Parts: sequence; C-alpha cells; structure tokens
Amino acid sequence: MRIIIVGGGNVGYYLVKTLMAEKHRIMLIDSNRARCERVETAFGGAYVEVTHGDGTSADCLRDAGIYHAEAFIAVTGQDQNNLVSCQLAKDYFGVKRTIARVKNPKNIRVFEQLGVDSVISSTARIAGSIDSELDWADVNTLLTRKATHVRVREALVDTDSPYSGKRLSEIGLPKGMIVVCIVRDGEAVIPDGETVLTPDDNVVILGNESDLPLVISNIRGETL
Amino acid sequence: MYIIIAGCGKIGANLVKKLSVDGHDVVVIDPNEENFAQLESGTNCLTVTGMPIDEDVLKSAGIERADALCAVTSDDNVNIMTAQIASQLYHVPHVVTRCYDPDKNEVLRQMGLCTVCPTMLTVAEIGRLLGETEEE
Repeated sequence: MRIIIVGGGNVGYYLVKTLMAEKHRIMLIDSNRARCERVETAFGGAYVEVTHGDGTSADCLRDAGIYHAEAFIAVTGQDQNNLVSCQLAKDYFGVKRTIARVKNPKNIRVFEQLGVDSVISSTARIAGSIDSELDWADVNTLLTRKATHVRVREALVDTDSPYSGKRLSEIGLPKGMIVVCIVRDGEAVIPDGETVLTPDDNVVILGNESDLPLVISNIRGETL
Repeated sequence: MYIIIAGCGKIGANLVKKLSVDGHDVVVIDPNEENFAQLESGTNCLTVTGMPIDEDVLKSAGIERADALCAVTSDDNVNIMTAQIASQLYHVPHVVTRCYDPDKNEVLRQMGLCTVCPTMLTVAEIGRLLGETEEE
C-alpha cells in the first residue's frame, strides 16, 4: 500500500520502521530538516522516501504524491496540524483512509466529527487500560462477528447527567438497549428498573451502535 | 451579539476594541496571559487564558451561547481547527477564520469556511495604490 506519513518525530520514525517491514511504500513528510535526514539515513531506499515541507500545505502534499496514496497518517505533536493535514488529504485530495494522532484525548471526538477516519490517543489508551480491566475492544470485535449492530460501552455518570438520581425505568432508554451492569464503589451491581443512577456510577451498557453515542453523552452529562 | 475572539495579537486586540465599542459582548482567548496587556485599559471584555483548540477553554469562554467567533491567532491551523469546532460542533452562526497562506485559504473556502487572507488583502491593496500612483 502507498502510505503518506506526516511527522517524523519518534512516533513517525518507528511507524516508518514498522510499516516498511510490511513492504508498504512510504512517503514521510516533516518540516524539520534534521528529522527528515534522520529518517532518510536510517530507512531511505526503495520503500521509504522523504519530503521536507509543511504537511498542512496542499502544494507540499501534491509534491509528495498524495494522489497515489491509499492511506494518510498524521502523527506530528500538534493536534491542529494533524487535523488540517487529514482534512486536506480526505476532503481535497480524496484519500480513502485518514488516521490522526491526538495529544489531547478530548480531541478524539472532535476529530471524528470533523471527518478523520481513525483517531488515536496514547493518553486515552493508557488511561483506558488503567480504568478498566475489561478490554471492550475485544468484546466488541466478538460482537461484530455475532451481531453487527450491537456494541458494549461504559460511561461514568456525571453530576450534570439528566439521568442522575433517576430510576432506570424512568430514563427512557432506546428500544433494545440495556444496562448490563453498574460498578458502584468497586462493587458490580446487576440493575433492574428500580435501580437509581447516582454520580460516579460506572455504567456498562449494551445496545444498538447508532443509539449508543447519545445515551453515553447523556450519562456523561455532555451537551452535544 | 456575544462574540468570542480567539487570539489576542495585534488584530485580536484591535478587533476586541472595535467590537466592544460597537456594543457587543466580547470574550478574548489567548494561551499567553501577557498578550492581554495589548488590550487598551478600559476595554470592556472578558479574558480567558488557554488554547482555543481546547473544547474546555472554548466552553469556559461561553461557546455554547456565542453568536460569533473570530479565529485570529498567528497560527493558520489553530484558526482552522478552532473555527470548525465552533461552526460544526457548537453551531455558532457566524465564524470567521484568518488564514495567512493564500493556497490554504482557497482550499478552506472550497471546504465552506468563511475566511480572511491578510496576505492577499495586502497584495491587492498595494497593487491598487501602485496603480493609482501610475495614473497620477
């Protein structure tokens, strides 16, 4: 596959190293000459090429051969640059698959809503693996195979949540959605309609993929 | 109108002055608190210290009830991201983005953003002035 990578810092460097081993054709773009030379010296050759320039400029992306790219990955240390790069790649040049790294985990949702296909935050990954022993990604992979639309998610009840202080039977969950379990003060509670949601409850919820985002943001007390 | 200005540089500070004199409620955001010194004393506005691409910072500036946002930091990409958070995630009705790079500016317009390109405005104005000089 032809892949463009923007950002030749540590993440970019090891990404080039990993992907070239899988015989992908890589073009790395970085605005810092020293970082370009480091990648060029280490990996330059048939599989890896380097362009020195601004990965958020349409001209630079054109020079780097973006019209031939099948995937585009932005991993600079600046969230705003990664967003603009991916948007140019996707909306302006029509690259099918865009992937961005974000430093601020809150930008995951922002990037997804602004059209980036996949968003990766190492901060969120690490925080997530500390937060919960269960890896929902694995559960969801399994669910995808068995039932395409059903997903499991978990969310913490916020004091601002419209559900806070209400019984499950009162909050009007969409059809087919159930609260599987509530983790409260380190104990797992199997709820019924009479169970009242209180702030700091960790709610594990199963339901239709399309209904989950709204319910999850209600639980978290976020305004969409 | 309730207006958020992202970036308190020369343009940001002068924009704050004009808009507050015109009677608008103005909030200005900048990551560097020292930049607020550029605001004239007696300027009637609120200040928020922080990066404007951070949703939490935008929320504390009142983005949920803002009528307009002007993204005028010195970084084109910060402006682009801030503007899109405002228009697409918070549905702020009027959003203006400053973009120095003329090529990027064209792309942004095609993507539907309302932009101002100081570079091209300056070029056009100088061209016009030179043209006038020739005619005289």
